[in-house]
Amino acid sequence: MFKLSRKTITSLFLVAFLVLLVHFFSPFFKNSAQGTLKPHLVLINLIKRELSGMIFYHRNMMDSGRLRYENENLRRRLFDLREVEQENLRLKNLLNFKQRSPYRLVPARVIARSPDSWSSSVIIDKGRYSGIRRGMAVVNTQGLIGRVAETSVSLSKVLLINDPSQGVSSIVQSSRQEGLVNGSLGSNLIMRYLPDEAQIAPGDTIITSELSQVYPKGLLVGTVINVGKEFSGLSRYAMVKPAAELSSVEEVLVIIP
Amino acid sequence: MKKLLVFICPLVLAIIQLSWPPALSVFNVKPDLLFAFSVSLVFYLDFRIILAAAVFSGLLKDAFLPQALAVNTLLFAVWSYLAYRICSQVSTENNYIRASVVLILALLNNAATGVYLIKTGSIIPAGIFLRSLVLASLYTVLAAPLMFKLIKKISA
Repeated sequence: MFKLSRKTITSLFLVAFLVLLVHFFSPFFKNSAQGTLKPHLVLINLIKRELSGMIFYHRNMMDSGRLRYENENLRRRLFDLREVEQENLRLKNLLNFKQRSPYRLVPARVIARSPDSWSSSVIIDKGRYSGIRRGMAVVNTQGLIGRVAETSVSLSKVLLINDPSQGVSSIVQSSRQEGLVNGSLGSNLIMRYLPDEAQIAPGDTIITSELSQVYPKGLLVGTVINVGKEFSGLSRYAMVKPAAELSSVEEVLVIIP
Repeated sequence: MKKLLVFICPLVLAIIQLSWPPALSVFNVKPDLLFAFSVSLVFYLDFRIILAAAVFSGLLKDAFLPQALAVNTLLFAVWSYLAYRICSQVSTENNYIRASVVLILALLNNAATGVYLIKTGSIIPAGIFLRSLVLASLYTVLAAPLMFKLIKKISA
């Protein structure tokens, strides 16, 4: 017969009590730990940025020249596009299109990254005080970044789109084919549940779909780099390169609906 | 003072781990300094301090992760206990043996974390799972000798 000594039973009760205690008190500890470490993380982030500015001076100088040239070109294009925009507005008014209200964007800076290798998340320096709430979409100028997973008063945790627990309802911009873009911890994303006859090819642009409950429609997710068949043979999948550089994201914009 | 330092070190290591430069990450994998520290404590200090420091390190790590359950707090405590039991059975005078213990426990820790994520619905391809498991464990072991030196100084 399997017998347990009094000491073992006491130890097991103690362990169970500790587990409950940890689970109950961890949210309180989370807030105070985040609050304590925030100023240090901000300072280290600042030093890191300044140091990398000095170390990569030449590369930054070349980038600056290239960006200035690109900026001039874009300014010219913007001027042309303004004309198109005006025309579009006039036509929309003529067709009585309901104007969608513009989103409010809250800019934030990334101050820390995920402490382990099994999740892909960043911590930003804005929280509930700035109007950020759980579930809000996060973008940068390149494209979709992720969604807010947790908020405190002055910090928020953002789950990046390459986290394995993330799924973004998306469509292929050209063919309007729907699919689910999943993160995989790697540098690329996987678009799943594509039917065999789906019109999708390398180079196609993937944007968020209106079926998504979290992300607004039309946000740029990435570009298809490879299309393959699922192991089951019933559907296809596509490897998607994220539009945003997720491993080195520094500034983000939180979309407040 | 010794006890205080044991609890200050995880704070400093957490800051380093959170602001780890992407250029030093290998395939998006970074060393788990908090884990290496909490396991390395076993070779030099008393069990009660080890357990308290392991729980504190786990709590710190969980505070900056998006998961709801404090998985690392529990896992760190379990690995510290396991390391303590191993040390009572095997001679760990040599740094290579200590590093081997850290490697085995890092592999177990990463495997447990990966399996937990898969069980909660995350989709991780097998190749990336193995890559994260092996690389993260090896990278953590690379940091272990520094932890041995640091803890040796604290315990002296």
